[in-house]
Amino acid sequence: MINHHPDDNLLTEYASGSLANALGIIVCAHLQNCPHCRQRVEHLNKLGAAILKQSATEPVKAETFDQLMARIRSQSPVADVDSAAKVQQTHVSYEKDPMLKRLPKVIAKLLPSDGKLKWQRASGSLKIARLRAGQQQYEISFQRISCGGKVVEHDHRGLEVTLVLHGSFSDEDGIYSEGDFLVRTPGEVHRPTATQNQDCLCISVVEAPVKVTGLFGKFLNPFLSFHPA
Amino acid sequence: MISIPTIGPDKHQRDDTWSCLLERVGQSRDEQAFAQLFAHFAPLIKGFCLGNLNSNFPADSADEVVQEVMFKVWQKSPGYDSTKAAASTWIYTVMRNCRIDLMRRHKRTATDNGGIEIDDIWDEADDDQAFVYLQQASNEALIDKSFTQLPPEQRQVLTQVYMQGKTHQQISDETGLPLGTVKSRVRIGLKKMQTLIAGSEKITEKLKGNFL
Repeated sequence: MINHHPDDNLLTEYASGSLANALGIIVCAHLQNCPHCRQRVEHLNKLGAAILKQSATEPVKAETFDQLMARIRSQSPVADVDSAAKVQQTHVSYEKDPMLKRLPKVIAKLLPSDGKLKWQRASGSLKIARLRAGQQQYEISFQRISCGGKVVEHDHRGLEVTLVLHGSFSDEDGIYSEGDFLVRTPGEVHRPTATQNQDCLCISVVEAPVKVTGLFGKFLNPFLSFHPA
Repeated sequence: MISIPTIGPDKHQRDDTWSCLLERVGQSRDEQAFAQLFAHFAPLIKGFCLGNLNSNFPADSADEVVQEVMFKVWQKSPGYDSTKAAASTWIYTVMRNCRIDLMRRHKRTATDNGGIEIDDIWDEADDDQAFVYLQQASNEALIDKSFTQLPPEQRQVLTQVYMQGKTHQQISDETGLPLGTVKSRVRIGLKKMQTLIAGSEKITEKLKGNFL
């Protein structure tokens, strides 16, 4: 049961196409598991269509249609099929990992195609792997907390959006399970703990470096170096 | 049992016409049908793009966008299913994705996208969720109507969000309105539409909360 969803503002930015790619990825991954939000977005798309239908019409140059048809005819019909049937093969090494083998498809596309996902141990119970998504604004990473593990208390200087992909974790405010979507705004302090029975995998998008608030955290903070990719 | 909202017959009829044409383009590559769709939607798409003032999107490329969008409409139309979306909504999403793509290209950002495409990110479709689609054809007309009934400031901010493709923060920066005001206008506008839609329904209770 998904209890935490993106808010109306974020979904509106998604449906109108203004959301940064990195945040769009997380919203899309949430939608793939959340019929409720998919329906909300469908309504917001209809609002987009309403605005399109009510736009003032602007005459299009007479030759545009002929140019377009010439372009369409110059495309081999095979090209259509190719692009439609383009399926990315997931590297076999991910199939062996129960956490990685059934990811939302948009997330699966972020996995390095050579099968070499680089996990770095950030602290005793937390491992992170940075992901590339062709942008410089945000850092995207997987975070894996081993069962019962605690993450060093940290606060956020920038926006952090997290989606739980597997297992669950809790912090001061509640318990978050698979599909839950969380937004942490600058200044919030929290200390996530994975539940006892299984490891927890999350994907997060961070706008600016996260600062560790605990005394020893400084040496353990995985986010001290900020690497958007 | 899903209640069927009251719909003005004209509006519904018109949307049906476009959806049929789009299916003919997709299923039988009907150029005549495509020409009719182009004649109707191309001027709207251009108008929508030119509503895009002050944006980082170059205004003189509206014709380029129109051609690109309609090219994608042709290419993607075999995947169009009129039971899942009205033609206008489907074309809106194609246009939105095209625009995101073009804006990124104009800004010349990141070259290595790690194999992820705009259509992967802006893709809310899922195959096994047929039940969601049951209500879809029904409330297009209600959404159109409720939008026109919004107070001007809410209508305006939603138009800016959609037409200019800007984040709430960008709108705040440009208009000088506090971010919180932009956010609340969007939220209140959406809620208001929901109320207007519910008010148009015979069975208000059943559909409460349906818009968002």
